[in-house]
Amino acid sequence: MVAFNNESREIALKVVYYGPALSGKTTNLQALFQKIDPKVRGRLMTLDTKDDRTLFFDMMPVFFRSASGVKVKLKLYTVPGQVMHESTRRIVLQGTDAVAFVADCRRTEAAPTLAYWNDMLKNLEANGLDPKTLPIVIQMNKRDLPDSRGDEELTDLMQVIRPLVIPAVAIRGDGVLETLHVLLTLTYRSLDQRVALERSWHISEREFLSQIFSHMDLRGTQLAGAGAAR
Amino acid sequence: MNGLPPSVLQQEASLGDLLDVKSFTEVCQSFAELYRVGLKVFDAQGNRLVEVKVGNADFCGYIWQKPDGRSQCIATVQKVKGEAVPEEAKPVAFDCFSGCRYVVQPVLYEGDAIGRIVFGPFVPDDLVQLPRTLTSISPDFDASRAASYMQKIRRVPQGTAEKILHHFSEILDVLVFTGHKNLLTARLHIEAVQESYRELQDKNHQLEESFGKLKELDRLKSNFLATMSHELRTPLTSVIGYSEMMLEGLGGPLTAEQREYLGIIMEKGENLLQLITSILDITKIEAGRVRLVMSEVELGQLVRDAVSTVLPHARKKGLTLHCEHAANMPKVLCDREKVRQCLINLVSNAVKFTPSGGTVTVGASELPGERVALFVTDTGIGIPEEHVPKVWDVFYQVDGSSTREYGGAGLGLAIVKSFVEAHGGEVQVRSVPESGSTFTMVFPQRGVATAARAPHAKSAAS
Repeated sequence: MVAFNNESREIALKVVYYGPALSGKTTNLQALFQKIDPKVRGRLMTLDTKDDRTLFFDMMPVFFRSASGVKVKLKLYTVPGQVMHESTRRIVLQGTDAVAFVADCRRTEAAPTLAYWNDMLKNLEANGLDPKTLPIVIQMNKRDLPDSRGDEELTDLMQVIRPLVIPAVAIRGDGVLETLHVLLTLTYRSLDQRVALERSWHISEREFLSQIFSHMDLRGTQLAGAGAAR
Repeated sequence: MNGLPPSVLQQEASLGDLLDVKSFTEVCQSFAELYRVGLKVFDAQGNRLVEVKVGNADFCGYIWQKPDGRSQCIATVQKVKGEAVPEEAKPVAFDCFSGCRYVVQPVLYEGDAIGRIVFGPFVPDDLVQLPRTLTSISPDFDASRAASYMQKIRRVPQGTAEKILHHFSEILDVLVFTGHKNLLTARLHIEAVQESYRELQDKNHQLEESFGKLKELDRLKSNFLATMSHELRTPLTSVIGYSEMMLEGLGGPLTAEQREYLGIIMEKGENLLQLITSILDITKIEAGRVRLVMSEVELGQLVRDAVSTVLPHARKKGLTLHCEHAANMPKVLCDREKVRQCLINLVSNAVKFTPSGGTVTVGASELPGERVALFVTDTGIGIPEEHVPKVWDVFYQVDGSSTREYGGAGLGLAIVKSFVEAHGGEVQVRSVPESGSTFTMVFPQRGVATAARAPHAKSAAS
């Protein structure tokens, strides 16, 4: 859960990338790491095994100080995808403020994806988090592969589920910033509702997003001309 | 937070936790020796983690002797250690009243200042003479002595000092990152194991609960069977008894047909009674209420008894019955009634499953180790291999379909096994489908009575 420190005027937020094994969670973080200005981020910490699969998690901190002097610290985590790391997934989810669910959108992956979605709902509840109110977006990754679900299917999907669905090819960096942008917008709104970020901490939605996205390389993304960084 | 204890991921680590202070001190020492300038590292709370002094001991020691010098020295140290510096990776210079200088840089990690590095004191290369602030601390201040002590402190241009400090802070950054990574790996490993353990315990608890419920259901089933068997037996006794009285002519003369019908009623009634008695037996066994009554028993006699009991039925089916036992079998300590019942169960089974023209052999033999065996061999239909381990289970039938050829409740062999094991013995079966089976009961000659226990599914397979 978001941590406020009134004394040091700090806000600490946590965002978790969740999803089945090899769906591209770490790839998302790596793409963000490449695109974000080193001035506002720390190192990308990866706890992996020899075969390059995530053992515990990846983590990248992003931070800025608002015009009103509040330090905002955002930590982006991934969970390990393999089934055996169930308990680690639960631990990493602890106290998260938002979740990006990274799905492999190939038809053959539909069943494991659904299983991980349910697994996530269960683990959120185990952590006392309500999936109905928590900001969640679904990233439909690997759109470039054969057998991936078509645009029409995604449109249909978006009509039946609550979370927003964002198409992506994380390995090329497509859709990665868009996913984070949508998620952080939702996160801001959810926090503003709960703790009045704008009124009490004098951080507007526009500033919150621009403090992060103005330090990103937005070339080639839908955010480039959309004024997201301004 | 529900359920889970707070994870290490939720906690902020302090600089001291991220570094192995002892080996970090060694790094600092070799670094300070290389550049011949002192070095201090503090955590965010101002605790000193490392201090290396190079060259300034005499100079500072001399100033420290003067009360004014001492108080100003303390003030300088406080400033260098505690005064706020901007949270960015840039050195800030602090001048000492003595003319020396320090450069200070915060240790930044994940956007937080988690400590500071203090590099100095060094003598800035633009210092020409000892400043007034130093020479005026005491009337008896010996400037030439102080100047000679100052020679031992390295003279460095500030730009160089800043470069050295920057270099050191980069090394420290890697150490902190590595330390943090290792700390998280180790702690998360433990947390993951603890969490898996907690999960397993939850599951165990659930399993125990359902096991308890199943045991309770099993007990209720046994109670029900026992009660029902008893309730069924009472009216059945009357049915058999009155049929018998009528057959004896107590109700007046009977026609040949009436006599035949009554005979059938009596025979089927007896069958039913036997079945109900078996159910009662097995429920008694399951409830642990069966006790053996031990006595000296002559096995040859037992074999002959069993054969003569089943003989009429076997003849009717066209089977040959053989007895096979040595003349001087030793006497065995066992419960005569139970062993007789077991043997009759086995022989009845053999007769039931052997087609007309076949042979059933009943016998007893001595085994090594003061044991004896009672066996029943038939030339019947045999048992398919996959069913052999389960035939001793309660209610188990090789052919469990409703259209099966051979009747029975599936209790006979379960009772046999329970009674034999209660004697400390064991049961064996060998069978070849289509050519016959041999069932053997092995008893110790001097049996020890224990409570009979019902064979459950699986237990017999082991």
